[in-house]
Amino acid sequence: MIFRSGSIGQVALGALIISGISGIVVAYQYEAAIPFVSSVAIEAVLPFGAFWRALHFWSSQAFVILLGLHVWRRIGDLPRISQSPGKRRHWAVVGTTIPFAIFALFSGYVLRHDATGMAAGSIAEHLMLDVPFIGNGLDCLLISTGSEGVNRIYVVHFLMTVLCWMLGTWYHTKKVILRGGLFLLVLATSLLFSYIVHAPMDLPGQAVHLIKGPWFFLGVQELLRHLTPLVAGVLFPSIPVFLLISLPWFRPARRPLLLLGLWFMVYIPLTLVGWLR
Amino acid sequence: MNRRQFFKGAGIWGVALGLSYPLLKFVVAKRYRPPRKVHIRDTLETGQFLVEPEFVLFDTLKGPLAISRTCTHLGCRINYQEDEKIFLCPCHQSRFSWDGRYISGPAKRNLARFNVKTLADKKGYLVLL
Repeated sequence: MIFRSGSIGQVALGALIISGISGIVVAYQYEAAIPFVSSVAIEAVLPFGAFWRALHFWSSQAFVILLGLHVWRRIGDLPRISQSPGKRRHWAVVGTTIPFAIFALFSGYVLRHDATGMAAGSIAEHLMLDVPFIGNGLDCLLISTGSEGVNRIYVVHFLMTVLCWMLGTWYHTKKVILRGGLFLLVLATSLLFSYIVHAPMDLPGQAVHLIKGPWFFLGVQELLRHLTPLVAGVLFPSIPVFLLISLPWFRPARRPLLLLGLWFMVYIPLTLVGWLR
Repeated sequence: MNRRQFFKGAGIWGVALGLSYPLLKFVVAKRYRPPRKVHIRDTLETGQFLVEPEFVLFDTLKGPLAISRTCTHLGCRINYQEDEKIFLCPCHQSRFSWDGRYISGPAKRNLARFNVKTLADKKGYLVLL
């Protein structure tokens, strides 16, 4: 029996390992000084480049989705977690893997540096700079595409992946728990999928009138059309992160869970509107 | 908390805070970058334009004009729509007139203009970014 209790977490870890290894392979041919040119070369010129890029792209997408599902499944454990200060702290620290994972995924879009990637980088930088007091420091630490190109976000892309792996294995489970059979299944699925489906990339002149950001960013992009950057791009997306991390401190957690549900009830229609544009 | 735990905790926090300062100072420091010069080896007639990655160059009766392609909303690279003579941001659909004045959308501010001059031999332009 391959699937047992706790399998989603393990499948997520399998996807993260595949994402990390394929990312290292792609990095051999990626050049931060000429990000778009080297991405196109990987995709269209180099042998097996499209395959490695697709493997990296799809396994990373799978990791973020599986991580979300894993957390969702664990919400049922909240009454037990909220009783112990140590477990509450553990939940809060592990909860930070979600924004780290999303940032790792997001930075991957910026690194390919096509029209979508460039726009994503500029928007993220401007949103970061809108954060009061610490905006400039955060921008220097995480993005700085305006002055540094993709150099810093390339470093952060690796850093976030390593942090996700460290928090998800050493801190979270104290050891790497991943059954061989399950990993082989994840690997086979990823390889087959990546062999068939290419990772997306905009061609020059393709996205002239409308650029749609990454799928998880579409709701924020839609909101940015109507509200100020600080509200739409900083405060609104921070709500679920803080709610999720603080869940064990609420007893019962019904009210923050309702708020979290409400947030998704707003965000999903916004995403659909952005997607249908 | 006993004395041993206190000193252990204080030691860890001390090292962490002590390293944070040089780390942040190093990361936040901006290296000086001189303004970039872009030479355009092309001549434009009045009303013609040239699209470059960072700006669109127009030649007008009052002289050349280099309009930045960076949207004043969130920094997306905007495109010049020749048929409507406007700039359109593909991210959030802000619109600007051909000379960079704000028309509509979330941007609210005019596009930046770069310093540009005609070369001495009249066979091109020099744009300072």
